[in-house]
Amino acid sequence: MRIFVLVKQVPDSTEIKIDPRTGNLLRQGVAAIMNPEDRHALQAAVELAAQVGESSVTVLTMGPPQAIDVLTEALACGADKAVLLTDELFAGADTWSTSGVLARAIQHLGGAHLVLAGRQAIDGDTAQIGPQVAEALGMEQATYVQEIEYLDGELEVERRMGEHLERLCLPLPALVTVVAELNVPGHPRLDLLLLACQDRAPIEILNAADLGFKAQEVGLAGSLTEVVETFSPKSARETEFLEGSPAEMAAALLGRLKAAKLLHKGGLE
Amino acid sequence: MSGKTLNLKAKVRPPPRIRSDAPRMVRQVFHRFTEEEVIPRAQAIDESRAFPRELFKMLGDMNAFGVRYPRNKGGAGGSTTIFCIICEELARGLVSLAAEYAMQCLMGTNFLFHYGNAEQHERYFLPAMKGEKVTAFCMTEPDNSSDLTGCKTSAKRDGEDWVINGVKTFVTNGPVADLFTVLVQTRPGSRGKGLNFCLVPREAPGLSVSRAFATLGTWSTEMSELALSDVVIPAQNMLLPPGTGMRALLSIVAEIRTMTAALGLGLARAAYEASVRYARERYQFGRLIKDYQLIQAHMANMATNIYASELMVRDCCARIDRGESPLNLSSMTKYFVCETACNAADRATRVLGGYSYSMDYPVQRYYRDSRFLLYGGGTHEILQSTIGRTLLR
Repeated sequence: MRIFVLVKQVPDSTEIKIDPRTGNLLRQGVAAIMNPEDRHALQAAVELAAQVGESSVTVLTMGPPQAIDVLTEALACGADKAVLLTDELFAGADTWSTSGVLARAIQHLGGAHLVLAGRQAIDGDTAQIGPQVAEALGMEQATYVQEIEYLDGELEVERRMGEHLERLCLPLPALVTVVAELNVPGHPRLDLLLLACQDRAPIEILNAADLGFKAQEVGLAGSLTEVVETFSPKSARETEFLEGSPAEMAAALLGRLKAAKLLHKGGLE
Repeated sequence: MSGKTLNLKAKVRPPPRIRSDAPRMVRQVFHRFTEEEVIPRAQAIDESRAFPRELFKMLGDMNAFGVRYPRNKGGAGGSTTIFCIICEELARGLVSLAAEYAMQCLMGTNFLFHYGNAEQHERYFLPAMKGEKVTAFCMTEPDNSSDLTGCKTSAKRDGEDWVINGVKTFVTNGPVADLFTVLVQTRPGSRGKGLNFCLVPREAPGLSVSRAFATLGTWSTEMSELALSDVVIPAQNMLLPPGTGMRALLSIVAEIRTMTAALGLGLARAAYEASVRYARERYQFGRLIKDYQLIQAHMANMATNIYASELMVRDCCARIDRGESPLNLSSMTKYFVCETACNAADRATRVLGGYSYSMDYPVQRYYRDSRFLLYGGGTHEILQSTIGRTLLR
């Protein structure tokens, strides 16, 4: 079975800060990581490949040259091959444009029986890439999947729909986006990681022309949406630290609550 | 110009040669391992005073113990630079784990790998790489620690076998080890010339291992005494050709000292990072304490010494990777970096004040664990002496 995994390099959200003046992300010094849910998709792909046998796992990402790092990590987690789609012409792509490039790359690389991806990336939170790639490839799709079973050439999946669960049978070829509940991703192996950093690592690099795109079909030019402004919401919260003994602090707190007219006869309103 | 009107032609270009930088990737992977797996468990592991088997096995599954050994022999094909990055990152989370890791990668398996036969590799080395077997290195004796040429543990030939008698102490991983690499004297009175290393399996009759010592720090690094009473080992367990023990030992001394420095660097970083976090959130007299100059002075001191330490460790690693054996430079590095670790741990206790005195916060652990670094890998008094003697030779 030919399995493709879509991964994305994203800023580590635990380290992100926003410039309060400009509203822009402060990316300097912020580590770039593999999108967390993509790690679960990769783990599922490696496990499925082992279960089915005679399978290959190819990891695909579109991004700047430094996105190579997520492919290196993916190879260290057991992927057989990695492909970086990088070109200045891809810059500024929205999810529509990105999905088109990813789908074309999968076709260029011989097509897939199964495409796995994280439900959504922590930087964009759109959850649009997986479904759009499935549409572009004309595949069946299941999103928000937390359980996958391979049975006789079909997948049985369980989708988490808020409070509800849904079980589906999915004929292949298909695309599945997964949530973190699916599995526990393993850590990369050091020997594979060091191999993946070498020149002979199985990483292919493709640009727009390799995939037969014209310049106006990709990147910002090929996008249907435009980002007009980014800003961080203003917080109206004010914090005051009370000092003193517990009794003094409790008395001060009571005073503040009374002053703010938050206390009624019987207690809090 | 609107992006939609761009009409540049996509050009066919040769694929660029892009590859990830190995040291940066290794740091990233083990930084995350430490954040996700080590730090959340560190306090509980420390308080349990027990060998962290679960994390040890996880490191085996990552082939992290194979860092110094070639891929075709079950290793990971790394370098001293890569090894020390892992040591540093693990020590940032828990020095005990990092010390156990380093023991398994270096002292516990080095002579087994280089001088052991195929059967010993199959039986001990490969399971050690997987984290399934634990190894230990026994050099220190009750009367001899830094002076290894004074080793009193004797090995006497008895037909095809050797008979070992003696006592070893401060054996890291002793209570849990499956295999011991033991420094022995084969020619009493010959000082360094008769030294050799032999493999003693835990089940060897005549070997007894004491319970773990109570120690000031590194609580989950179990250390014990080892008594060898007429322990019989086959000839193939005596690893080195006669007369080469001292040379073999010297071949890894620079690496041991650089690795110990890397542990110190990790601990210093942990202390510094804890101090920065606290200084940025603790208010006193209506101001964050980071705005007080004396707190800033602590930060400046820690960060400057950590920076210097990082450069020293990196330089020693690069030299070892180039095939040099920087004995004196690695002694200086171990001395400077581990003093930096002790200093940073001390300063962190001052920045955190009373909270560093509470057993609920990790800074007390950094302070206790930092003392381990003063003695492991050579005491600083002996190191200063050897550094000075070498310079004045």
